[in-house]
Amino acid sequence: MNFLTIRKLLPVFNNVIIRTSTISTTPGRLSKDQEDQPNFDMDNPFEKVQMKCILCKHNIQVDYKNVKLLSQFQSPYTGRIYGRHITGLCKTQQELVQSEITKAQSAGLMATYLKESCFLEDPQLFDTENPIRPHKY
Amino acid sequence: MITYELMLLLRIMPKPEVKQVLQRTADQIFGKGGFIRKIENLGTRDMPYKTSSHGMVHKQASYFLYEFNVPPSSLADLLDEYARDVDVIRRRIYKKREPEPFECTLQEEILPPPYRKDVQDMIADAKKHDKPKFQSNTGLDYYPFQK
Ligand SMILES: [Zn+2]
Repeated sequence: MNFLTIRKLLPVFNNVIIRTSTISTTPGRLSKDQEDQPNFDMDNPFEKVQMKCILCKHNIQVDYKNVKLLSQFQSPYTGRIYGRHITGLCKTQQELVQSEITKAQSAGLMATYLKESCFLEDPQLFDTENPIRPHKY
Repeated sequence: MITYELMLLLRIMPKPEVKQVLQRTADQIFGKGGFIRKIENLGTRDMPYKTSSHGMVHKQASYFLYEFNVPPSSLADLLDEYARDVDVIRRRIYKKREPEPFECTLQEEILPPPYRKDVQDMIADAKKHDKPKFQSNTGLDYYPFQK
């Protein structure tokens, strides 16, 4: 039924457009008509917002001395680094985090087989129980 | 010129001795023709794991960070000198990383697999190894003879 009503409306809509074009020939109405013209130079208003990973969104520089940040990407049970499907980081940031964690562990700043107890209460950046990347389906 | 960062873990000592060790380690950098940009004291704390060095087991350490420039060829000598220093528990030299701007590619990475560039490349790569198929060149889209 909805479809039918739209079909009925369509010819009426066409007439309206034709009528406005006849009015636009008169010099007095021309400026107002141009005002009503849609602005075709504007950006696509329906364009979807590009998703960004949490580190890129807040523009955070990963550094091996910032152990409090790095330990959030570490499992409290095994001390291993969470993968990309869990952390939800982009490829570049994940590689950076991984290399900085290995650097920190090698320099004696960060634990290897566990997360240090002082960082256990830190807020969770991602859900480790649900290791699925964000998607639209 | 590459700026290096030296992470130095010293054993627990009274302050005058720590000063001596820092002076000694800094002098070794100057001896190699380098210069120091910054020395940072990151404090004394429990180490995340116990370390044994020079016949002693350490569970606490004083953390110091040097930022310095030195000819790259002398890095190995420098590390060797610190390895023989009995007051140094652990030492690591890293390059100071300059933050390089890059674009976040998360949007492309969360697309369904057939739309991802790396998956498409992988499929194209796998197709290269397919067995060549016999071309009959008859111009027909079916096999005209009895099988
Ligand atoms: Zn990112």
